[in-house]
Amino acid sequence: MTTLTDQARRRRRGVNSKRTKRIVAIARGLFLSLVSLMILVPIAAMFLASFKTVPDFFGNPYGLPSVWAFDNYSRAWREAHVSTTLPNTIFVTACSVLGSVFLASLIAYGLSRKEKPFAMAFYTLFVAGLLVPVQMIVLPLFILLKFFGLFGTLFALIVPYIALGLPLGVLVLTPIAATIPRDLISAAEVDGANPWQIYWRVVLPLMKPGLISVAILNGVWMWNEFFIPLIVAFKPEAQTMPVGIVAFIGAYSTEWGLVFASVVISTAPVMFAYLLMTRQFQSGLTAGAIKG
Amino acid sequence: MPHPLDPAMPGVNAGMRLTPKNRRVSGNPRWSDSKSLRKYSHLWFVLPGLLFFSAVMVGPALFAFVVSLTSWSGLGTDYQFIGMNNYVAAALHWPFYRAALHNLEIFVAILVFQHTFGLFVAVQLNAKPRFMQFYRTVLFLPVIVSLVSTGFIWTLMLSSNIGFINPVLHDLHLGFLAKNWLSDPQWALPTVIVVIAWNSLGWSVVLYLAGLQNIPEELQQAAQIDGANAWQTFWRVTFPLLSPSFTSLTVLTFIGTFRAFDVVYVLTGPIGSPNFSTDVLGTLIYRNAFGGSGFNNNDLRMSFAITMAIILFLLMTAVCWAMIRVLRKREIEV
Repeated sequence: MTTLTDQARRRRRGVNSKRTKRIVAIARGLFLSLVSLMILVPIAAMFLASFKTVPDFFGNPYGLPSVWAFDNYSRAWREAHVSTTLPNTIFVTACSVLGSVFLASLIAYGLSRKEKPFAMAFYTLFVAGLLVPVQMIVLPLFILLKFFGLFGTLFALIVPYIALGLPLGVLVLTPIAATIPRDLISAAEVDGANPWQIYWRVVLPLMKPGLISVAILNGVWMWNEFFIPLIVAFKPEAQTMPVGIVAFIGAYSTEWGLVFASVVISTAPVMFAYLLMTRQFQSGLTAGAIKG
Repeated sequence: MPHPLDPAMPGVNAGMRLTPKNRRVSGNPRWSDSKSLRKYSHLWFVLPGLLFFSAVMVGPALFAFVVSLTSWSGLGTDYQFIGMNNYVAAALHWPFYRAALHNLEIFVAILVFQHTFGLFVAVQLNAKPRFMQFYRTVLFLPVIVSLVSTGFIWTLMLSSNIGFINPVLHDLHLGFLAKNWLSDPQWALPTVIVVIAWNSLGWSVVLYLAGLQNIPEELQQAAQIDGANAWQTFWRVTFPLLSPSFTSLTVLTFIGTFRAFDVVYVLTGPIGSPNFSTDVLGTLIYRNAFGGSGFNNNDLRMSFAITMAIILFLLMTAVCWAMIRVLRKREIEV
């Protein structure tokens, strides 16, 4: 036995000699740079395209803009209705994130004790919401929103976003709420805290990392959501950026510079937030996946 | 729904009677009332979310089922109850199968791509090369870019008018490789798949990397000491330990690809042009419910569209449930 392992070790030492190691490291670096380039080139092309004039798109498809059309941005702001759709997107995302995180944290705390009656049943109900195709509920939602007079307002987006954000929130937060030590909660009870105070002062602060994950998870898709506003929002006053851009291109199909300026404006805030908090974004976005 | 305070409900007392403490309490009539009320007190926290969720998700879902039993077109008030006719019609509607097949092709292609290329990239990153943080940040970047923006970015790359790739190929004297990527029926679906792959590579890299970093190094070292080569170590030790990542990635890819809509809408339009070669379930349902270019109001079949959406929901639920059951079984605790 010993001779065998010794042999294996010697063989390994031979293979992993310094030179092969360096070649492997260089090949690895080249490969990863190449893959990164495939990601970055299209994104860089988007940024460049946002400064191009229309003739440039046809005469100079790649390469730097021959004239830097900085006014694409100011024109997009006015003509592509970015001045309305960008504030709309910010408002809708902020409200929906706050609403869904708050409601989901309440639900998660309520369902965190698996053995309590209905806890598993409700948990399953909420999580099953992940699989509902939006197309299925969007028409009844349409009627509901009209009935409450929310149609044509931003609440026509906020209400479905909050509801669609709950399944992910419950999925991520319930296991986190379940790890909160029961002794801590009973200690607060002994100290005379009422259930609301226990939730607000003890449970919520302990769930903070989970809350940030859910806020990122929901915030990214709410900022980017396309289907619901496509169905529900017809006028720029009620639209968010992704639909605003598609509606604009439907009306002025050749103003590519303005289209890409709008695409940059809609992408840049999320990208900027991502670059600032890369770790939180990666762990937050995958939190839902790993739990699922 | 039974009353939540009904002690006759099955499950309410299950598991609670077993502990002697509970038996003592429930045997005491003076305490049982407040005790059973307390037992449901956690539901107060669930209530606001539950009401909201019921009104906006569960209610509309049930209503959708009722609509699927009618012949309602989506416009006007003209409708009849036609029972399961819509379901029969959907089962005989061949564009439904064509769209589902496209979803399936996208799913299989992306699945293979993520479990091979994505895994390979993750393994390279796990070797902690220089600039690892940079690579990791860049590779995950497309995940946070919206599918609409992704669609526009790739329109810019691929379009035959404003495209980026074809002129580059021509200038490199590789003009024979240039194609009408999005308008050639043969190439449109593969192109859409490439765009989705670009957008979703980050998921597999980050999920697999997280899985790799969770594997204790001693296990791999132990395998090497036992004489396993790198290839054997990977397939016999590392890969089986990655099965949680495998499971979540597979389920995630399934949900994502069967919901595909935005990318196709932006790249090839709501009719999945050319000649429906990129038509997926998302665009098919959308077109039937709300029309698309080249459609007029007579073509609207809202109840039929909802029926297809319900079938899609049932299908996805069944497949996800089966996947999780099968894939969880092969997961190993470290």
